[in-house]
Amino acid sequence: MIARIARKEFTEMVRDGRFRGGALIVLVLLLSALLMGWKHYSDVSAQHTAAQRATREQWLKQEPKNPHSAAHYGVYAFKPKLPLSFVDQGVDDYVGVAVWLEAHKQNDFRYRPAQDATAVQRFSELTAATVLQLLLPLLIILLGFSTFAGEREQGTLKQLVSLGVAKRDLALGKALGVLAALAVLLVPATVIGLGALALASGPESLAMSTPRLGLLALSYLGYYTLFIAVALAVSAWAKSSRFALVALLGFWILQSLVAPRVATDLTRWLYPTPSALEFAKSVSDDIAKGMDGHSSQDERTQALERSVLKQYGAKKLEDLPINFAGVALQASEEYGYRVYDKHFGALWDRFERQNTLHQVGAIFAPLLAIRSLSMGLSGTDFAQHRHFATAAESYRRVMIKAMNDDVTLHKDADHKATSEVYRSLPDFEYAPLPLPSVLAAQVWSLVCFGVWLIGSTLAALYAATRMEV
Amino acid sequence: MLRSILKYEWRNLVADKAIWVVTGLFALLIGYGLLNGFAWVRFQNATLATARSEEVTRFNKLKASLTAIEQGQEKFTGDAFADPRQARTVGNNKGTRYAAMPPGALAPLAVGQSDLYPYYFKVSTLNKQTFLYNNELENPTNLLVGRFDFAFVIVYLYPLLILALSYNLISAERDEGTLAMLLAQPVALRQIVLGKILLRGGIVLALAVVCSLLGAVLSGANLLEGDTALRLGLWCAVVLFYGAFWFALAAAVNALGKSSATNAVGLVGLWLVFVVVIPAALNVTVTSLSPVPSRVELIQAIREASSAATAQGNQLLARYYEDHPELLPKNTKVDTSSFALRSTAVRETVDKAIAPVMARYDRQLLGQQNLVERYRFLSPAIVAQEALSDLAGTGLDRYRHFLGEVDKFHRGWQGFFVPLIFRQQSITAADIDRLPIFRFQEEPVGAVAGRVAGGLLGLVLPVVFLVWIALPRFKHYPVTA
Amino acid sequence: MLEAVELTKHYANATLALDRLSLRIEPGEIFCLLGPNGAGKTTTISLFLGFVAPSSGSARIKDLDVQSHPLATKRFVAYIPEQVMLYRNLTGLENLEYFSALAGQDSYSKAALLGFFDEVGLPQEAATRRVGTYSKGMRQKVGIAIAIAKKAEALLLDEPTSGLDPKASNEFSALLKRLGASGVAVLMATHDLFRAKEAGTRVGIMSAGKLLTTARTEDLSYEQLERLYLESMAGGAMQGVKR
Repeated sequence: MIARIARKEFTEMVRDGRFRGGALIVLVLLLSALLMGWKHYSDVSAQHTAAQRATREQWLKQEPKNPHSAAHYGVYAFKPKLPLSFVDQGVDDYVGVAVWLEAHKQNDFRYRPAQDATAVQRFSELTAATVLQLLLPLLIILLGFSTFAGEREQGTLKQLVSLGVAKRDLALGKALGVLAALAVLLVPATVIGLGALALASGPESLAMSTPRLGLLALSYLGYYTLFIAVALAVSAWAKSSRFALVALLGFWILQSLVAPRVATDLTRWLYPTPSALEFAKSVSDDIAKGMDGHSSQDERTQALERSVLKQYGAKKLEDLPINFAGVALQASEEYGYRVYDKHFGALWDRFERQNTLHQVGAIFAPLLAIRSLSMGLSGTDFAQHRHFATAAESYRRVMIKAMNDDVTLHKDADHKATSEVYRSLPDFEYAPLPLPSVLAAQVWSLVCFGVWLIGSTLAALYAATRMEV
Repeated sequence: MLRSILKYEWRNLVADKAIWVVTGLFALLIGYGLLNGFAWVRFQNATLATARSEEVTRFNKLKASLTAIEQGQEKFTGDAFADPRQARTVGNNKGTRYAAMPPGALAPLAVGQSDLYPYYFKVSTLNKQTFLYNNELENPTNLLVGRFDFAFVIVYLYPLLILALSYNLISAERDEGTLAMLLAQPVALRQIVLGKILLRGGIVLALAVVCSLLGAVLSGANLLEGDTALRLGLWCAVVLFYGAFWFALAAAVNALGKSSATNAVGLVGLWLVFVVVIPAALNVTVTSLSPVPSRVELIQAIREASSAATAQGNQLLARYYEDHPELLPKNTKVDTSSFALRSTAVRETVDKAIAPVMARYDRQLLGQQNLVERYRFLSPAIVAQEALSDLAGTGLDRYRHFLGEVDKFHRGWQGFFVPLIFRQQSITAADIDRLPIFRFQEEPVGAVAGRVAGGLLGLVLPVVFLVWIALPRFKHYPVTA
Repeated sequence: MLEAVELTKHYANATLALDRLSLRIEPGEIFCLLGPNGAGKTTTISLFLGFVAPSSGSARIKDLDVQSHPLATKRFVAYIPEQVMLYRNLTGLENLEYFSALAGQDSYSKAALLGFFDEVGLPQEAATRRVGTYSKGMRQKVGIAIAIAKKAEALLLDEPTSGLDPKASNEFSALLKRLGASGVAVLMATHDLFRAKEAGTRVGIMSAGKLLTTARTEDLSYEQLERLYLESMAGGAMQGVKR
């Protein structure tokens, strides 16, 4: 019975000019977005791999120089793109592409791609995520608004019910029909997406990406299911199909245009971000005056001097078997690490709390949940940016330590580091955040998603069984 | 006749509570957008004030310590990098000045791109790359979403309000059966359409314009000041004609004689095309026609150039003095080991080496912007967005103008310090008062008005076109289904 | 007053809705067009109102061609469809005021407008109620009130009494007769032979776009009219077979 209803819905929809037109446009947009996303991914990926190699080359090819100068020269860490970023660009355009790892300073990422674009980019980007998150739900609304209300107006609903069809079966059948019509669109897109993924990534990253792609597909399927359920519920509950359409469009506008911005404002209001100027000032104050405000840089150096002299049982710095400059440099770096960890940690925690609030907002607008999940699984959310930034910073600390140790070991003031020292620093390797941690950051998205999925299904069934015929 | 139509349309609208709900909601959204705009401008102003006071404190301290050293009350003991008499130290660190672009008079109305671009720089004698990326701290997720400002309400939601009020302008009369009664009277359908649009347009457009004026007044803009008045006038014109476009579109779709439901679906589809699809497609086209090369290349170029230049530091220095014999120190010998001298020579060489790379970025980005300028006419939403942020001074053009000003100031700053560094001349307390000061020169309002006038044309012409295609169709409107 | 000259209408789907209709209705006449669904009655009225354009021939009101004087000709006519649709959120009085203002009569006092309500037999209290609450008969009466207020010289009615109860229908006929007596030319399309005999001065029987016969009602009894109608239908059907 349900299958028969689903088949009738499907046939009717596929024959409808509105669906054909809408589906064709969405399919064309989706495929071109996937294609462009894939090209963008492979271009950027190739550039970053090449640049990462080049920055290593430059590091190794440095002429012999003071090790601390080498630390000042430093290296760059280029943010790698994960293969699935061709589906969802996430925040990639709004964080820089590279960070300079140099002595004394934990730098911010530089060169945000959005700054090298025109204002049109901020309208909406043609990415697969835009099509999947915004346009497909609109198509579902167009398919679903008249399912019950339209049949009621035509009088066919009365006939159906008089034949003894259970309203619950009717609702399930109609939902399956819409889903089948969507599958006409989504199945080819998924196959192409899979193909692009296989092309874009080597076997190793393919193994990493496949489960993520699977989860991504599952999330979008859930998103569409809940949208279908909402459309059916409204269509069953609405007095007229016109009213159903208006209500559903209103929901779409609220959740895709208004809710994300309101959520952003709320996060800003609840967790205000300090200005870059204040941030830099608190960092430099903490370094100069000490984090407790009582141990200034000079006092810390004097204390270090005393303790090192005591450790080696020496009276003067000249008598030490090591170069005190290296020890002092490393100690001041380490103090810097504490300061940076405190401030960047607080800032990034704040951003993450803001993002959690975005996720919690999904209880009002499911888009917020799917957007967060989609970015997370595509590896382009802030949490994974932070993960990379933290890895780059750890590498910086390894590099600085290596150079400072070379200073410490050589009492000669004119000592120059050799290429052997440069080579002793391992190349920067980055392992992406593992899937369980990615998902752990999405707890609230998942919870809200589940609530919507269950809630909308129950609402659809309830509205369908209680509707007037 | 028109008066009667207006009067009774008004009674009809009033009796339908929906209009008050939607216009009330619209006014609330505008108010919310304005609050957001105010908050952002307040944040920027507070930051600039902090920067200014930091600069004043730093300068007072610098002057005091220079005076103390000059009068022999104090002896400087630290390393050369911290010596306030060193021109390099003052020009790069202790005496740097902020170059700031304060928010414009109408800035609270449109956040535009201002959350993405820096609005102040700490200018030093180093190359521009060192201070040009002074981004404000912001959660990238928030940047991705964008702001809920007045301009957002106008560009995205205002069309929806207009479409909600006019998608069934005539089709509703037909669905209800009153159209035949109406047209049995000696009145042209065009006149009825005109009356209906004038009334709805009057309410919605007046609301949008009044809110614009109110927003400007609340943001403390001096409306008597010519430039601000012109900007605000143009702002209202953009809001009016952008609204007129959506009314004309609704009228044109109504003229096709389809049912209200078909009109609604069609108009929402067109809204999506103009507000989402065309901008996205234009963005793709623009970035592929005039791609900005990856900044990764720039990073590499700078590093290559600076390693090459550092390697030959001393030769560079010698060559520099050959080129500029007037900068040879008069009394002292050139200290070739001086870090200040060598790094300045290296920096100048690197600047020269990367200038063509930098120019390429600017050229490509300008190319993109020119393409957008040309093809924005494909969507009135882009035209409106660009014009509104241009008028608010939060668009790319004012930022580019600011960068030009900063570039001039930076060159002046280097022009002040570089000769001192090469002459190995000390900075005195008196010098501090002679340091260049950055004063932001607002972009000439004529240039803004010129660009916006082009945009206005891009709004007026579609209106004329839509009216031109819709009018004859109303003559043959299918009165009965 | 109302004149059709060789009036022909082909619709886009190639059906011939009206085939060379020629007809003349003088002031004071009440002409009833009879015929089955699809005979071309509504098309005729739409042509007089200029809602559709004729394929050939012309519809004239007071010797003015409707097609070339769309607004001028509407000054003289009033239209009452099967359902007089009014603005449901406005009161009866407001509807009357609006339509007469559109018709160019915008100087009526409230008392004068209430007078029209009285004239068509609508209670005063109804005038200030929203039309959404009106019965069909009341709305049809407002239609007549609009016609009177407009000082229409010709009336075009399209099945105005279908669905009315006998009493309302009777009242409606009486109103029509009064208008006819005051010199208004009336063209009424109807299915209702009884009503045609009762109210009309002439009847015309149409089928498949053709006007088959016309007759004066005073020359026929109700039974004769019915026979004439059925014979015409049979003849029309024969004609259809031949064609």
